[in-house]
Amino acid sequence: MNVKALPITRQGVIPLLIMIQAVVLFPLWFHIPFWISAVTIALLLGKYGMYRQGVKAPRWILLIVVLLCVGGVFWQFKTLNGRDAGIGLIVLMYAFKLLEARSYRDASLILFISFFIVVTAFFYSEAIWMGVYLLLSVLCILLGLVALNSPKGMQGIGSLGKISGVTLLQALPIMILLFFFFPRSSAPLWSMPTDTQAGSGIDDTMSPGSIGALHTFDDIAFRVDFEDKVPPRSEMYWRGLVLSEFDGFTWFKEKHSPIRQELELPMTPTYQYRIQMEPNNRNWIFGLENLAEAPKGAYLFSDFTWNRRRQTTQRFIYSAQAYDIDFSQRPLTEFQQSRYLQLPDDSNEDTREWAEEQRSNHQSDEAFIRWILSYIHQGEFYYTLSPPVIEIDSIDGFWFDSQQGYCEHYAGAFVYIMRSAGIPARVVTGYQGAEYNPYGDYYIIRQSDAHAWTEVWLDDEGWRRIDPTAAIHPSRVEEDLRSDASSRDGWMEEFGSDVGFEAPEGLMRNLALRWDAIQSFWSETVMGYSQDMQFNWLRKLGIERHQYRYLGYGLLATILLAGLIFGYLVLRSTQRLEPVTKYYLLLLKKLRDHGIDCDRTMGPRDVLQLTRATSQKVYARAAPALKTYISMRYQHETLSPEAIKQFKQQVSRV
Amino acid sequence: MLGILILILIASTNYQNNMGFMAGFVLLAVGLLSVFYTFRNLKGVEVRCLKPVAVFATDIATVPVQLVNNTKSERVGFGVGFSKRSVSYTDVGEQAKSQVELTLETRKRGMMDIPRIACASIFPFGIFEAWSWVRTPYQVLVYPKPIPCPEPLVATSSGIEEGQTQEKGSEDFHNLRDYQAGDPIKQVMWKAYARERGLYSKEFEDYVGEHQTLSWESVAHYEKELAISYLTDAVLTAEVSQNVYGLELPQETIDKGQGPEHLHSCLKALALM
Repeated sequence: MNVKALPITRQGVIPLLIMIQAVVLFPLWFHIPFWISAVTIALLLGKYGMYRQGVKAPRWILLIVVLLCVGGVFWQFKTLNGRDAGIGLIVLMYAFKLLEARSYRDASLILFISFFIVVTAFFYSEAIWMGVYLLLSVLCILLGLVALNSPKGMQGIGSLGKISGVTLLQALPIMILLFFFFPRSSAPLWSMPTDTQAGSGIDDTMSPGSIGALHTFDDIAFRVDFEDKVPPRSEMYWRGLVLSEFDGFTWFKEKHSPIRQELELPMTPTYQYRIQMEPNNRNWIFGLENLAEAPKGAYLFSDFTWNRRRQTTQRFIYSAQAYDIDFSQRPLTEFQQSRYLQLPDDSNEDTREWAEEQRSNHQSDEAFIRWILSYIHQGEFYYTLSPPVIEIDSIDGFWFDSQQGYCEHYAGAFVYIMRSAGIPARVVTGYQGAEYNPYGDYYIIRQSDAHAWTEVWLDDEGWRRIDPTAAIHPSRVEEDLRSDASSRDGWMEEFGSDVGFEAPEGLMRNLALRWDAIQSFWSETVMGYSQDMQFNWLRKLGIERHQYRYLGYGLLATILLAGLIFGYLVLRSTQRLEPVTKYYLLLLKKLRDHGIDCDRTMGPRDVLQLTRATSQKVYARAAPALKTYISMRYQHETLSPEAIKQFKQQVSRV
Repeated sequence: MLGILILILIASTNYQNNMGFMAGFVLLAVGLLSVFYTFRNLKGVEVRCLKPVAVFATDIATVPVQLVNNTKSERVGFGVGFSKRSVSYTDVGEQAKSQVELTLETRKRGMMDIPRIACASIFPFGIFEAWSWVRTPYQVLVYPKPIPCPEPLVATSSGIEEGQTQEKGSEDFHNLRDYQAGDPIKQVMWKAYARERGLYSKEFEDYVGEHQTLSWESVAHYEKELAISYLTDAVLTAEVSQNVYGLELPQETIDKGQGPEHLHSCLKALALM
């Protein structure tokens, strides 16, 4: 290639490069530090100004600014290593490269690096619109490449744009197949320093007395797909953490180590499901009670919770099985006994004494538990998300004075009472309930479904789940505890009647569910496509071993197939012969059929002579056509359609 | 491009980022497709080498190449040149022609071979380059470089030998003179006679200039190439001053004559000597 023949000073090339950089950098501007965004925008504007004025930036100034920016990145992130610092650095260098771009090679490099910059934006978001934006960005980059490689630059961009659009459309099926077959790895190639961010969701401590108002968020925690049977919604307890240590005010997660022997307990499988979890930046993941075998990538702990080694910073998809576990075979060890009966000595003494006294009035643990639940049901206990703050002896204050609270208050107080009465008990946190999405046939669990409940140990039965919050009389549950989705519907109806438009019932809700179904497909099937899923469909095809080899075959087949199909489509005869030549070639073919050894390299006069020499009979028939051809080719400048028609007839008579 | 692709795929694998994989595979697919598109950009274009015009040694020869696009789509950035690195790009519209002129430096007189012509294209994405070589059936005729001779060439003019510089002829109208008996009737100036100015005859002359024969003998004592250059200069001077000249070379003799064709045959004879 002669790159000097394609200078970037051609019309429109530099403005196009600036535009492409802006398109590619746009999604990053929302995630990278503000000053880096500002510098890149300034560089793009500066480049445009210099292009209009026809000036070039002196290299030494550029060098100083580059060094300042590298220093800035180091100062911001305290490192040049790691994801965010790396992206900040590469984005700055990318913008600087345009400033000093002088040749075809520079421009070409910028355009190819643009593909990588597009990819870096996906480290921050994998939402569906980013997929759409990916296509737009790629289209722009391709347009840039086409304009760069066209001698006229941006001129005739309409037809050049068509080439890039058609190529992108043709690239999509190949991309999908490659995406499908390309072998994935189950673990990162090397671990990168993770950038910790605060996550929403359930915490590993619980101190109900300290929070005056609980804000519920409509964010999705995870989505669940049941294989066949679906439990009733009231039975959907999504177990997350067990909080068993209490210091009088706050409940803590116990420190523990992975275990496996619990699997020896008698278990019967109940529900098979698949969870697509949104990132929560924590180690714990959730499962339908009871949890036994940990999904791939996680461990099972002795309190029947799951933990991942790494934090869930990206959507995590796992399959699991719920079980009925028979704990009765194995009594609590002495260590466990003491752990689940542990109480701080110096607080909440009123509740402790009350519990001990009440227990002595009942014959069995079970009767005592039933009595406490009916006590909550019949007493003046209220469910509210804005309970009063209780500074000291939070349980005493809640149980005897305020009697207002949400699930954490009830769960905490219940476990405290149980332990005081000598019954091993613990707090379990997670989510309860789910919203069904009929458009995608799955369930949505939101942050607002977060819940806390308890488990008590009964000697002949084992752990039994008790949800003290559920015992509250419905009339004492605060009226306005509606989910955000339903309140949106209410607003819609109100608004609709104001403007004389009657919204169908639940319109917003249905739209929201439909949109969520699309998003779920995107994030589970497309973004969540993993080695697991790859190996799953291979297994369905009967391939249990050498999976990578078969994926390799798939890749190879894709490339070959795409090559054949598109090679044919692109290269199939695009030649439209001018009619006279077409008929002449036909004439030559006919002569060859008559045994005259002629071809296109011979002049028509030679063909004529050869025909005469070979066969008088053929000569008699072919001569008029050949003579017409000679006169058409070598005597007339313009040809009338009649003459061409006549020639055609002469050829057909041969 | 390959480097960027590998970088994208490694980063995507490491961060298990499926969107990154998508971007990478789009790039890969575009690369795959561009093989065909780039190849197609050359396909179906007829490259016609036209006969180059003769030049004097050390001048730049132009080799005209005509590109005929018989296909239904435009050919953008069709490169033609003597090497892939020096092609110049032109667009050839659908069912259209365009002409490129390649330049070639000449050194010595004689028939110069034209190197094979590269047709190359990197359109649309500059990822791949497709190319093909075309051989032209022509050669460039390079005339000798004209160098004025330091001493006047002894024009062994046949005209001088005959003692006449002018020959009456019938090709060029020269002047009028009084009618003399015996003048051909065709030469009578009837227009003047009609205006009663008397009878005049038109006098014709074959050639206006001098008659010379440029012979090899006159320069034979110089070094051969220099001698050829001197003769070339003499031929050119003779042509410019509208002389009638002939050329006598050891192997070849060109009769006297004048005009571009005569000049060409003289120069050709000198070039190929």
